[in-house]
Amino acid sequence: MPKTALRVVHDEATSSALFVAAGLALVLLCLATVPTGGAAWADSGTALNERPISVTGRLNDTQGEPIAGAEVTLLINSRVVEVPTEEGAFSSAGDEPPGRAESQPDGTYVLEVPSETVGAIGRAAIRASRPHFESMEWEIAGGLVDRLNRGESIYLPNREMERQVTVAFWVATLAFVGMLVMIALEILHSTMAALFGVAVVLGTSLVGGAVYPELYIFDFEQALTYIHFDVIFLIMGMMIVIGVIEETGIFQWLAYQSYRLSRGRAWLLVVILMVITAIASALLDNVTTMLLMTPITIQIAIALGLNPLVLLMPEVLASNVGGITTLIGTPTNILIGSYAGLSFTDFVTNLTPGVVVALVALMGYVLLRYRKQLLVRDDELSQSLLDRLREGGRITQPVKLRKAGIVFGIMLLLFVIGEAIHLSPAVTAIVGAVAVLLWVRADIEEMLNVVDWTTLMFFISLFIVVGAITEVGLVSSIADAIGALVGGNLTLAILVLTWSAAILSGIIDNVPFTAAMLPVVGYLSRTVPGGSSWVLFYALSIGSAMGGNTSLIGSSANLVTAGVAKEAGYEITYLKFLKVGLPAMIITVAIGSLWLLIRF
Amino acid sequence: MDRVLCATRGGKASLRTQDAAIALVKEQGDELAFLFVVDVCFLKRSRRAVRPEVVADEMARMGAFLLEMAQERAAAQGVGAEAFLRRGHLHEELKAAVGEYGADILVLGKPAAHSSAYELHELEGLAAEIGAESAVQVLIL
Repeated sequence: MPKTALRVVHDEATSSALFVAAGLALVLLCLATVPTGGAAWADSGTALNERPISVTGRLNDTQGEPIAGAEVTLLINSRVVEVPTEEGAFSSAGDEPPGRAESQPDGTYVLEVPSETVGAIGRAAIRASRPHFESMEWEIAGGLVDRLNRGESIYLPNREMERQVTVAFWVATLAFVGMLVMIALEILHSTMAALFGVAVVLGTSLVGGAVYPELYIFDFEQALTYIHFDVIFLIMGMMIVIGVIEETGIFQWLAYQSYRLSRGRAWLLVVILMVITAIASALLDNVTTMLLMTPITIQIAIALGLNPLVLLMPEVLASNVGGITTLIGTPTNILIGSYAGLSFTDFVTNLTPGVVVALVALMGYVLLRYRKQLLVRDDELSQSLLDRLREGGRITQPVKLRKAGIVFGIMLLLFVIGEAIHLSPAVTAIVGAVAVLLWVRADIEEMLNVVDWTTLMFFISLFIVVGAITEVGLVSSIADAIGALVGGNLTLAILVLTWSAAILSGIIDNVPFTAAMLPVVGYLSRTVPGGSSWVLFYALSIGSAMGGNTSLIGSSANLVTAGVAKEAGYEITYLKFLKVGLPAMIITVAIGSLWLLIRF
Repeated sequence: MDRVLCATRGGKASLRTQDAAIALVKEQGDELAFLFVVDVCFLKRSRRAVRPEVVADEMARMGAFLLEMAQERAAAQGVGAEAFLRRGHLHEELKAAVGEYGADILVLGKPAAHSSAYELHELEGLAAEIGAESAVQVLIL
């Protein structure tokens, strides 16, 4: 408390009125809070004359990112500042001893020492150390030392600390790569794999680090700071809203209406289904859309005498592309929006035109690809089966759908105007979820069951593992490498990011990949000329989502579609998907990256 | 007169199995029933988006559709057939259905040609397991 008050006095020293007021406040505060026989700083008569000299500065890493948590020490005449140790001899806020401080989240540090304890300063230096960085010490320039001798406070130029590769670097890297491999090879459920990664990094850091300091990654509190709770709440809110909508039969009704509208023209049915799937994926999410549309799509295909894969493959490809257009369309967009502060409108205005063109090209591709199958028909269905199909394609809960639809419409409006009124998407989603629950009067137990806690746990765990690789410097290394590769060329940066994201998303889960790439893209956005338009974040969005079309494991929508199809007796193998998906990915990513080059 | 239970799905491989079961019943004058099991275990492979019970409801509708197709197929060949739809783990539900229907013969579909050898091996293992647990004869057709 006294230190804070002193700073106020110091900062406002030029304003006499404030000075007096603050001084009085200080006296009152000190009288109220400092124990009898209190500190030198607390003694009202001496506070202003014996104010500390302060040395302020800022620490950054080599990419200009602020370094928090560094231990910074002021050395005077080559020695650490020492003050009388009797109780209360020096009272300082933040429990920092004089001449020592920890750098703040913005990288700044403020070193304060009582001027009377210093004496004449011949030379002064700063020593900074932090896990995963080379410790460093540097001299304070002579002119600044003179100012210190006059009792003035000084502000030092920013300093860069070099990264240091420790054993912890390799542990965190292996934990992250291991998590990706376990998810890709389905050795463990994605949430379990992420939790395993958390156990490795925290266990190594806290248990191993106590024995062997090189194993230290971060402490538990630091690990928690990496969790983006806005992402968690946004996903949770959307789960509840979608949970109400999903049981109304709207997806099945849409699919059946597509069938009716197409009047038996298979090519038209493909086009309508792709449009519906893309829009539904953009507004809700692609996995929900595909899970609920796949069963009825299979029945429609059978009704038309088509192989269901002829309808399912275009649908799932469109769902992966359509989700890109909005903040809530894909988990990767939610991550990107949260990190880069991109709004719902940002995604719509900057990506929708490119995505629409890509979708049209995708339609052309699948119609060409399946032109023979779309013409081949088996026998038509009996009236009884057609009746059953019609029954399956009706809205089962119209009242609930109307209420949920109104709330969802308002949510969309709030997503759009939220930026102007400083309403975050996470808050909109939670408010919408509560509104839906209250209005629809859904059973709360049932609705809590709607929330997929394992998915939320996955994201929380993922953030911690990604935090670990950020902490140890892996993310910085990747950023440096990509930065060196693209130089200052924005076009090259867009192409490299879009295509590398697309290719890697076909091999590994695009969610952890995107989460790890966010700081990298953030760095490139700051350093590559023209990158401040956030175009590189859009490149990541396009690459990671469209890349999901590459292979069966490229997105969750692919896996659930294949799962339902297999249960119905129509298997989508890895190779079968690759043959259709890879060209689709190439076409759409090419259009997507071209759009970014034109738009930005 | 035996009771034949044919586990079925859709697709060409399943139609082949249905035809084989229908032919078997026709030849021996047996009773026939088709079985579709709604198994949503595949949802565990990915992050969940929809409640498993909602997905299961949709798949049950699809299953009922496929079962009716199978019944129509049998009827077209002069064989009447019952249909059963069960929800749960495939292996467990197959065993339960065999007991409840009192099946003497259980017909399982042979994996399609492009499926892995492991899948056939797994199916043979399941057939042996069901055969050992109940007196039912298991045919992979």
